[in-house]
Amino acid sequence: MISDIALVTGLILILIGIWGVQTHRNILRIVIAFSLIGTGTHMMIVAIGYVAGGTAPIIDRSLSKTAALSRAVDPIPSALVVTAIVIGLAVTAVMLAYAIRLHDAKRTLSIDALTESKG
Amino acid sequence: VTGVLHPLGIFVAGLGGGFLIPLAYRLGRSAATGVFLLALAAMTVISGVALCRLLMGAAPIEILTGGAAPPIAINLRMGLPEAGFAFSVNLVALIGAGYFAREKYGVMLLYLLLVMGVQGMVMTRDLFNLFVFLEIVSIATYGLLSLGENAAALSATFKYLMATILASTFFLIGTALLYAASGLLNIDDLIAARASLSGPIGFAGLMFLLAALLLELKPFPANGWGLDAYETARPDVAALISGVVSAGVFFALMKLLPLFESQLDLIASLSAITFLASNLLGLAQTKARRLLGYSSIGQMALLTLAACLLQKIGVETSTLRLVVGGLFLNHLFAKVGLFWLSRHVSGERLEDWSALAGPRGGIVLFAILLGAIAGFPPFPGFWAKWRLVLSLASDQRYLVIGVVLIGSLLEAAYLFRWFGQIVHSPAPENHAPPGPSSFAPALAMALLLAASGCLAASLAGLSSVRAFAPLAAGLVLYPLDRLDARFQQWTAFALTLAGGFWLIHDLTGIGGLYAAVLFAGVAILSIACAYRTDRRPGFYPLLTVMLLSLVALPGASTRLEFFFVWELITLSSYFLILRRGAAQGPALRYLLFSVVAAYFLLAGFALVDAAPGADALVTLHSAGPERAAVAVLLAIGLLIKAGAVGVHVWLPGAYAESDDDISALLSAVVSKAPMFGLLIMTYLAVRSNIGLDMANVVCWIGMLTTLAGALLAAQQDDIKRMLAYSSMSQIGYIIAAISLVSHLGWVTALYLVANHMLVKGVLFLAAAAIILRTGRRRLSELGGLARAMPFTFAAAAVAIIAMSGLPPLAGFGGKWLLLNAMLERGWYGSAIATLFATFVGFTYMARFIQTIFFGLRPSVSERTREAPIALLAPQYLCVAGILLMSFLPKLLIEPISRAINPQFASTLVWQGMSLETIYGYWNPTPVMALSLVVAAILFAALWLLRRLGWPEGKAALRVPFYEWESALFSRLTPPWASAFWGWTAGAAMTLSERARAIYSGDPQTYSLYVLCYVLAVYALGGGLGRFLSLG
Repeated sequence: MISDIALVTGLILILIGIWGVQTHRNILRIVIAFSLIGTGTHMMIVAIGYVAGGTAPIIDRSLSKTAALSRAVDPIPSALVVTAIVIGLAVTAVMLAYAIRLHDAKRTLSIDALTESKG
Repeated sequence: VTGVLHPLGIFVAGLGGGFLIPLAYRLGRSAATGVFLLALAAMTVISGVALCRLLMGAAPIEILTGGAAPPIAINLRMGLPEAGFAFSVNLVALIGAGYFAREKYGVMLLYLLLVMGVQGMVMTRDLFNLFVFLEIVSIATYGLLSLGENAAALSATFKYLMATILASTFFLIGTALLYAASGLLNIDDLIAARASLSGPIGFAGLMFLLAALLLELKPFPANGWGLDAYETARPDVAALISGVVSAGVFFALMKLLPLFESQLDLIASLSAITFLASNLLGLAQTKARRLLGYSSIGQMALLTLAACLLQKIGVETSTLRLVVGGLFLNHLFAKVGLFWLSRHVSGERLEDWSALAGPRGGIVLFAILLGAIAGFPPFPGFWAKWRLVLSLASDQRYLVIGVVLIGSLLEAAYLFRWFGQIVHSPAPENHAPPGPSSFAPALAMALLLAASGCLAASLAGLSSVRAFAPLAAGLVLYPLDRLDARFQQWTAFALTLAGGFWLIHDLTGIGGLYAAVLFAGVAILSIACAYRTDRRPGFYPLLTVMLLSLVALPGASTRLEFFFVWELITLSSYFLILRRGAAQGPALRYLLFSVVAAYFLLAGFALVDAAPGADALVTLHSAGPERAAVAVLLAIGLLIKAGAVGVHVWLPGAYAESDDDISALLSAVVSKAPMFGLLIMTYLAVRSNIGLDMANVVCWIGMLTTLAGALLAAQQDDIKRMLAYSSMSQIGYIIAAISLVSHLGWVTALYLVANHMLVKGVLFLAAAAIILRTGRRRLSELGGLARAMPFTFAAAAVAIIAMSGLPPLAGFGGKWLLLNAMLERGWYGSAIATLFATFVGFTYMARFIQTIFFGLRPSVSERTREAPIALLAPQYLCVAGILLMSFLPKLLIEPISRAINPQFASTLVWQGMSLETIYGYWNPTPVMALSLVVAAILFAALWLLRRLGWPEGKAALRVPFYEWESALFSRLTPPWASAFWGWTAGAAMTLSERARAIYSGDPQTYSLYVLCYVLAVYALGGGLGRFLSLG
């Protein structure tokens, strides 16, 4: 149940993000929309590994290897998400850096000012 | 040592170097640079050593991380393909590192990370790890793109960011969905369990993954962001994206292809669309780097197309290696080299590249890199395309062959149009000439191309020394290019003689005879090049390559060797024609028609269903049921190259606008190459059931060519254009003679080949002499030269008589024999056309002699002297040949007959009569008398028409006869052919111009394309079918 909610929320976040990327004209808003897409993806991944009512995947006396398969949360998606968050952070930072440089160069943050090359 | 050179060392060097560069920077800039270069060199060495070991048969190296076996831990693999990609990428990165070595340390760090990340993408066997490496590469690319100087570069980078972030998001979602469906991340495990991925979640994961990888390769139409980046990024960064980053993404896709088994056709179709579209859109480009971007995208699409289809067909590993490896290396080295060259060009337009001209050889490098991309030999792309087309044909994928060849043609069109445009335009003003070593990296790419081309040649199975001899001779001559012209002439001449003699000395049969005839022509006519003593940069190497290739062609024993030598002739003659500024348009036309002709040959050869390894040309004779199609394709190709009517539009310009000595060689010798092809092809056609029908069609084409050529020649005022059309007309006779497929026809054909070679040699050299001495080339401005240039006059007169077929000279025999043979076959239509063409021929030949050498015209001044000995000597050698052939015909005819006999063993019309009997029994007088009578009647009719004031009233009487005649003939030759080809070219340009509108430059439009592309891949990959079957 909880994982379903997380999954659906993640999906909705992704869609909102895509909608934001396609409709907003301000570059900063677009960067935020990209962050939303990233966050939504991360939520989806976490939800994939979640086991309702499960416990932390630490195999010790109270959690045998066989029991871990059914009762423990899958640790791999969490590990992936940690990596993905770091990457997402870097990408957002790069986007923001470019937003600053674009503003310096054009004195505007409008996405419409980016059409020098075409054809 | 093994430990240090373990492939894991690549990551040690990459990451360790990355950490050390900032530290070393504290010590000083050069220390950081040292660490940077050292790390790159270490990666190169490690991958190189791994490659060597694997080539010697070592097992692929598995790298396990974290001390556990997969799937618990991530594993990487260094097999042969991985090592090949990694080493070539490292090599390019190391050579290009010089461009970054003086940058801020952050730039060096990003560069190092990028190169390492690409190798991670190549080596990793874990899907999520692939994502991480992809992101490392992407982020490093984003950083390096910031080196672009202007605002447009910033905009382009932001678009690039938006598109690739979307793509990698889909990659991540796809990975997560696959994990959800299977619990697996290891690629090998996923491939093993691919059957379990057919559920909706697994399928969606697969499609997202596929779409993401395709998007990273910049597919049409979702690739505007990539083009913008190529256009505006700093050239060395663009080179990195085009060669190195694409290599990583492509390899990742290759690795995952087994997962997409049921989508292989989809991937191939999408790649085919991208390949065609990017080359079509390239046509209308005026900005150089954007054009390179289009070409890059096209090449990567071709690579993907080839990889998918070969996987699907299930070819042998060696073929896969040759095609994928060849196309990849070709693209990598050539495109990176071109982007690096663009650093020396200040402007962004195509014509700004004229800055490359100059003594440093930039233009030669440019030509080499362009030639490689266009798929010319000896570069790897040529061998790869050859094998690709053969493999596609073996699986009956004819449509794909069409796409590959049309796309390649478009690419050749815009690349060589560009080359022609810059080669003669002056270097831009206030352009600083590049320093002495500035071309070194691009030169290294050219050398790598040549080396990998040799490697590919041996993989493709061509190791004949004969085939490579012409190129070797050219290479020997090239370093002498700065020396004295006389010295170069002598060396080139000696090399041509020695090489030619070596090429023909052990040949027998019809090939040997043909080669000997061509060699004689080459040896005589190349003397004429000595009449110019000015510096002609690059002329003698190219000339030697062309001449020796011509002599080598008839000796080719395999299809591949024939095609290879054929393309050498095409390329070298193109560069020779292009040497005059006026030849820019004609040279391009020549090249494009030649390329089309070559592609028809390629397709025809590919259709020959030969057993693997049985590449010999003789297999054509015993080919399977498809030989009718083979024969038709070959015939079309050869007729295009011969300049048959309708496709002759390339011919007059190429012959007329090239250097005067080159014109002579083109018309006399080069034009005979397709005739040899026709001889071989006709033999094939005879063996197939469409033999005679096709022979009749070819005969008609030949006769119409003769007629059209004669009519057009009669209208020309330019002396070289007249000779050019006359050449077309005479070639028509040869085509018709070959199409008779009889012993008699073939003897006639070879006889006419020799005759035309000598005659046109004399006439074009006479034209060269006249132009040299008078500075004029219009018939209307010439006249009265018989006195000033008596020797030239005498030679020309002999040649004209020999060409017209009047007794007692050599054309006598040939032409009447042909007419007779046609009448015997009952081909009356062609015979009537021949009669008419003979008459028209008489008029223009008479005009040639009359207007140039007689009459009082203003062209003779006191200073007009006889032609130089360098022009007279070859003319008189030809004249001697003509006389020899005329009075001792047996000298040539007997060997011809002997050579032909085995070809016509028993099945053909030849009844076994010996030649003496034929000539003894056959009396040319009636046929000749008939055509003279016809000519007289036609002349009378012409005279009557003029008297009657038709078509323009009595006023016509006041214009000179020849002008009136050419006006009359021009009504008979409406310019349909040039109108048609002009319309075709215009339509392609218009289409290209219109289609470019999809690249609006708007970032959100581009990201919308990306999203739609993902949906399209999902739907076409099987999602639509699933949806429908649910409903």
